[in-house]
Amino acid sequence: MSIIDNSTGKIHVHNPKNQIKESKGYKIFTVVNTIIMILVSFATLYPFLYLVSQSFSSDQAIFAGHTGLIPEGFNIDTYIYVVTRNPIAPWPDLFPNFRIPEFIVYYMNTIFYTIVGTVLSLFFSSILAYPLSKPNLKVNKVLSPFIIFTMYFGGGLIANYVLVLRLGLKNSMWGFILPMLISTYYVILMRSFFMTIPKDLEEAGEIDGLNKWGVFWYIARPLSTPIIATMTLFYAVMYWNNWFNAKLYLQDKVKWPVAYFLQTIIRGAGSSDPDAQNMTANIKSCAMVLTVLPIICVYPFIQKYYVQGMMLGGVKE
Amino acid sequence: MKTSKLAKVASVGLAVSMLSSLAACSGGAGESSETTTIPSQIETSADAEGELGYTYGLNTTFHADQPVTYTMFFSDASWYPMVDTWKTEGIFKEIEARTNVTLDIKSYDSGDYMDNITLDINAGNAAYIIPKIYDDSAFVDCGAIVPISDYVQYMPNYTEFYNTYNLSGDIQTITRANGKYYKLPGMKESNLINYSFVIRKDIWDAAGVDVIALQKDWTWADLLDALIKVKAYMVEQGMCSEDDYIWSDLWCGNESGQGSGGNLLGVMAATYDCNAGWNIGNGMRFDFNQNKFIFSPTTDNYKEFLKTANSFVAAGILDPETFTQDDATATAQYYNGKTAIMSINQGQWANYEQNMTAQLGAGNYENYVITMPIGSTRNSTVDPARLENGVMISQKALDELGEDGFIEMLRFVDWLFYSHEAYDLTKWGIEGVHYTVDSEGNKKLMDGFCCSGLGYGNDEAESMTDIRLKWGYAGGNFWYGGTVAEMSDNLIPPVADYVNRDYTDRDTPPLAPGVAPTADQNEEINLIATPLISNVNAWTLKFVTGQEDIDAQWDTYVQSCNDLNVQGLVDIYGDLYKG
Repeated sequence: MSIIDNSTGKIHVHNPKNQIKESKGYKIFTVVNTIIMILVSFATLYPFLYLVSQSFSSDQAIFAGHTGLIPEGFNIDTYIYVVTRNPIAPWPDLFPNFRIPEFIVYYMNTIFYTIVGTVLSLFFSSILAYPLSKPNLKVNKVLSPFIIFTMYFGGGLIANYVLVLRLGLKNSMWGFILPMLISTYYVILMRSFFMTIPKDLEEAGEIDGLNKWGVFWYIARPLSTPIIATMTLFYAVMYWNNWFNAKLYLQDKVKWPVAYFLQTIIRGAGSSDPDAQNMTANIKSCAMVLTVLPIICVYPFIQKYYVQGMMLGGVKE
Repeated sequence: MKTSKLAKVASVGLAVSMLSSLAACSGGAGESSETTTIPSQIETSADAEGELGYTYGLNTTFHADQPVTYTMFFSDASWYPMVDTWKTEGIFKEIEARTNVTLDIKSYDSGDYMDNITLDINAGNAAYIIPKIYDDSAFVDCGAIVPISDYVQYMPNYTEFYNTYNLSGDIQTITRANGKYYKLPGMKESNLINYSFVIRKDIWDAAGVDVIALQKDWTWADLLDALIKVKAYMVEQGMCSEDDYIWSDLWCGNESGQGSGGNLLGVMAATYDCNAGWNIGNGMRFDFNQNKFIFSPTTDNYKEFLKTANSFVAAGILDPETFTQDDATATAQYYNGKTAIMSINQGQWANYEQNMTAQLGAGNYENYVITMPIGSTRNSTVDPARLENGVMISQKALDELGEDGFIEMLRFVDWLFYSHEAYDLTKWGIEGVHYTVDSEGNKKLMDGFCCSGLGYGNDEAESMTDIRLKWGYAGGNFWYGGTVAEMSDNLIPPVADYVNRDYTDRDTPPLAPGVAPTADQNEEINLIATPLISNVNAWTLKFVTGQEDIDAQWDTYVQSCNDLNVQGLVDIYGDLYKG
């Protein structure tokens, strides 16, 4: 029996008689390894499962310390409270009387930032990475050090803040997206991948009449699906989880992403104020579960890109 | 050759720019050596002749003839976040209605407030009015903040309070090396105790411990004896086992105790005349006997305090996990009757009662707040300085409004933060609408209203309107200080009771003399104190939890502090205070 590997074109010949018999030691190793991995997985998962269980438990059960992996006093009251509390006007200038609960507003903002930010980041990162991947382009000798320099040195917090302020981006949704539009590290990953695209293909495109942009768009881009998929994931997770730009640049609450809202309520719950003590443990857990839910839903389907992504472009042949 | 020339030119350019930036860094306002003393009484300034365009004065509501707008930073707490109704029908609307002043609010989440306003101030984007400032030292030298001591004579309510309650000694503690101060502090007639301990009086009574008879002159050792009896009773009744602890405290763990033992060690150390926990600061404390500043965590008093704290852990009473756990763990154990004592502050009574009624049922428990035990002194645990966080005014306000407009704004600030009328408004809402005042002057929220921040809890059906959540009254950006009557006007009887007991049965600690370090000295103090205090906190927790033996390891601990330059700190304070 033979199997053709589509990715490499190599033929693997499988002969049952040649199968190596697993030694006893190997079998023991496999069992022990599996048990250790199950324990490690459980230790990793337990805090999250505990959080989920707590979010569905009653206040009394939490105060009594009865929360385990199974919720006690099952209810979704806190979820309802979190997603309906404190209605705010998302567009106060256009529709001052139109109000929706703040959590929904923050969630919509996060979705907006993630989609718009990821699309723009991908576009600008790839049009920067592609020319950088061309060794014969002389300007790269000057440009590359400047780009790499930003990985190690920055203007500092106040300089960045003043820049955003003077550009009029403070308190604007662009103030959240633009400062992290291009990640140098991701650009370098993309550049390395673009370098692996055979030069002959691009030259064939040029002979057929494509200009440089056409070569990038019609040849390099379709061949770069793996790196684009990986970068989509990286950028999307970066935008989804970011709260620091919101802290610095978004004073207006209606523009906050959900990650920053979550950060404020978790930190607020540590205060000794009576109202902070009323922000019960399961308000925190509900907000956390709701925030990570989309990532958890999507992750199983794209995790292979995550693992592959770090290797992409790492080896040149 | 070409490259080396270029490199030389570049080096010279860089050197020049570095030198010029160094020059720009030095010589701030705080470095000035001209010194003025803080007057014991301030005389208010007479107005120049002519129409002012606004009314102001003692017992007069500030009112601008023409509408004016002032920008103000606002520390927005996530547990009572600012909502639109604060502006459309709540506190800001009412301020505007009474004064014709619109506050243009620039709010930041309270957890990021200092970071964000520091950025704004340094970037030249400051608001005119900057409230909720605890430590102004970061702003003093940047030139963006007005030295407000030059202008307080224009503020009638401020000067009235300052003169009536003789606050010059207190103000001296926030005065900088140039003899000026930059923050309008919240001022108090006298300090009242905030933090103490709540006990399960029903269990204590059943265990035969009469706390009311004991507490007037009791020591920490008496409290320990009482708790040992209570634990014995709880074990006997099957409420806990011999291995369980009956004191698991909040505000001490990593979350709110800041890795220093937080509230518990802070209040306990204060009774031994030393700094620890939340109150450790840089460790320096004034010794009235020696008439100089000493490093408190290496004194004999501190050693005695450590032994006291450790005795509760060693006796199996205080859970050593107190110093690492979340607050929710402590409250959960107290609410369901597993522990018999826990920290409390003035605002928490209603909250505890509400949760314990839900947990144990009404009538199945009795809470009581104890008088703080005595350490090596009879001093109350309250801070002697009668100042609270305060308000800074930005230089931008003076530049943009001109001197007359600036003084007008100051008089509005004076009304908002120092008048009795604004105090009542910002704390209680509108009289006759949200609260009533009886013939004896007692204030009470009207039916249908509650306010956790004032200690008025909601009913079980949660049908009442919280005046803080809905309209922004009783928020932390206003009403910092006030008279004793004002500060205690919201205290419900059990809270008022322990506040009064502390006021009558304990001594107020004396006020240490003020010192005014320069910016350089401040930086040096911080450089020494940061690793030193980390070391003190780490050792303190080891001693308290019994990981290290106090007698055996004390000299090693003191040596570790000395190695981190305690003497340097003492020398700086010696230079600052000559007696």
